[in-house]
Amino acid sequence: MIDRRQFVKRTCLGGLALYLDHWATSPAYSQDLIPPAPPIHVNEPLGALRSPLGMPGLFPGRVIETADPQAIISNRVSQPVIRRMLDRAMRELTGAQEVREAWRKFIEPKDIVGIKINPSGAPACCSSPEIIREIVAGVQSVGVPLQNIHVYDRYAFEIDIGSYQTLVPLGVRVIGVAERKLDRSGYDPNIYCEANFFGEWETRSYMASIVASGLTKIINVPTMKDHSAAGVTGCLKNLGYGTFNNVDRSHRRPFSFTDPLIGVMCSVEPLRSKAVLHIMDGMRMLWHGGPLSQNSKFISHAGILMVGTDPVAMDTIELEKIETKRRNEGVPSVWSRDPKSLTENGAEFYEDATKNLFYRQPHHIAAAAKLGLGTCELRQIDHRVLS
Amino acid sequence: MANSDWPTLLCDNSRTGGQSPQRWRAPQKSVWQTSVDGWVRSAPVLRDGLLYVTSQSGYLTALDARTGKVRWRFKAAAPIHATPSLSSGQVLFPSDDGKLYAIDSGSGARTWEMSTGAESWASPVVSKGTIFFGDANGRMHAVSSANGTVEWKRDLGGKIYSTGNVAEERVFVGCGDGNIYSMDEKSGEILWKTPTGNGIDSSPAVADGTLFVGSLDFFFYAIDLTNGAVRWKHEAELGISSSPAVSGDTVIFACKAGVVRALNTQNGKLIWAQGLEQAITAPPVISGSTVWIQSGMTHALNLADGSILWRARLGYSLQSAPVVTESAVYLTSMEGDVYALG
Repeated sequence: MIDRRQFVKRTCLGGLALYLDHWATSPAYSQDLIPPAPPIHVNEPLGALRSPLGMPGLFPGRVIETADPQAIISNRVSQPVIRRMLDRAMRELTGAQEVREAWRKFIEPKDIVGIKINPSGAPACCSSPEIIREIVAGVQSVGVPLQNIHVYDRYAFEIDIGSYQTLVPLGVRVIGVAERKLDRSGYDPNIYCEANFFGEWETRSYMASIVASGLTKIINVPTMKDHSAAGVTGCLKNLGYGTFNNVDRSHRRPFSFTDPLIGVMCSVEPLRSKAVLHIMDGMRMLWHGGPLSQNSKFISHAGILMVGTDPVAMDTIELEKIETKRRNEGVPSVWSRDPKSLTENGAEFYEDATKNLFYRQPHHIAAAAKLGLGTCELRQIDHRVLS
Repeated sequence: MANSDWPTLLCDNSRTGGQSPQRWRAPQKSVWQTSVDGWVRSAPVLRDGLLYVTSQSGYLTALDARTGKVRWRFKAAAPIHATPSLSSGQVLFPSDDGKLYAIDSGSGARTWEMSTGAESWASPVVSKGTIFFGDANGRMHAVSSANGTVEWKRDLGGKIYSTGNVAEERVFVGCGDGNIYSMDEKSGEILWKTPTGNGIDSSPAVADGTLFVGSLDFFFYAIDLTNGAVRWKHEAELGISSSPAVSGDTVIFACKAGVVRALNTQNGKLIWAQGLEQAITAPPVISGSTVWIQSGMTHALNLADGSILWRARLGYSLQSAPVVTESAVYLTSMEGDVYALG
């Protein structure tokens, strides 16, 4: 069969142009050591119509936060408490009286819905199956058959460690896009981001086929985590780096080009249009050692759930929370550029919160804002904390 | 069964994790090393000098256990997650294409196949000519090992990734709905079900009238085989996917926090605990006085006190368990490497 889709190439400026603009607003900066990112070429479908539901979505700048100390007890997440929290947050986000009405703002019965989980920190800190089950129930409530709801992520083996196959409702498929880093079988060869960051031999990152052509809507379920290269991993990182392959080439110690690659990836169609809702799992907040740490001393049982359609606004709030926690724990800011905080020793990084492997790049959030994916100015964010 | 045979997951239908009579000695060298096509999530099985390995590329590969040379390969239409079982000259395994395959163990030719309509990762259990296995649609199947005809099927309340156990004319299996089910071996009638606090993908072991199983609710359970009553339970740090192993009065299990525990089978009292490097989802295997388990690397622990006797950065695997014989230890890694250590 001939593929009749047409594709267009566009070029995004590297990090330098995006970076200069918000450099002055970062108080922890005294100087910057990060070299400018190279241009990133994007190949995406020609003339793809951007959906009004796509990022930043129906409610730009709005972030609903709810927390309940009963949501996580003895490291176990309570599904009944999650149900109450999610129902309330969805109604607050949308202004709907009924929770089913809230889900209808995003999902239609004919949709093929992908729930993008984050299992990379499994088993200690990953998208809670209890939240996934409630999202499935919400999607199902608007008439989507269970067979049209897929839970997915990049690496099948990480999904296995989280036991998601066993824990999702009957009928829901669980899909690992790939087994290994450069496995291209699950990826669309025509949609990619191309850049040469460090002289790597494979300079392209391809979009997962399930996102390119299998799903009609995506609900993004990131966890609330520090990230040694990106600063935090939230909505943007979970979506961008979980959709494209060959992404860890964007960081090589001590430098990281997660700014601007994360935002650029999230801006590529059809990912941008299909990602209609973000539900951040803050049951366990990893404030150091992300994204993979299993060290319980860095995991706070925060019991937080955040809901929104604007991934930039949500990640901005997440960043504030991680920063606050780190400040309270007396460890350096994720904005730090102190070379003395760097280590080559992974074991040291996983045990010592004053150490890091890279100069973190929390600027990737502001870079995504520059691409129109949302709002990163705190004073412009409609942050509603439900009591 | 010959001493060196290992025809099904965890050696035999007791599912007690090996219990093989072989005595442990530290492997001295790699006898051979090879790779199969595709990643491996399953454990190997062994009979009559052939080692059988299933992989994500859909291949069942028969290797000469002495040399590592490929004797034959069979290609299914989809990835294979399940550990195969050997019975009556057949290699039995389900695949992600919703089929159960029976392959001639000597030639690699397909004997028969039957369709279930759903992927299955559970290893088939063979008892008295009947194959029992569950699938992702929550259905338990009993089919004839002679030709694959359906004897009974039973819908349970959640997905089934747990490998069943057949004992005392009943079939026991864990389920994604959090229940342990007991079914009549002949009819599939549900005799009892015992709830836990979360889904179950661990495979139960049965010893001395007690069923042992871990749950994703962080608890390890000892359940009365006759009525499903919980005799005792023991709390771990995280969920339990690893299947248990039993030796005498000791039951060994591991949780996802990477901690291996030995408990007294009678009362659940802790005998020892040993923390390993990474999350554990693979089952332990007991051989003589040694516990083998894969956690980031392969470990051999002292059954008496849990101390580490030997370890090697080989065979990183999620679900795989080694095959331990007098002459060799066979390991698979997630990346598709197969090792014979002697």
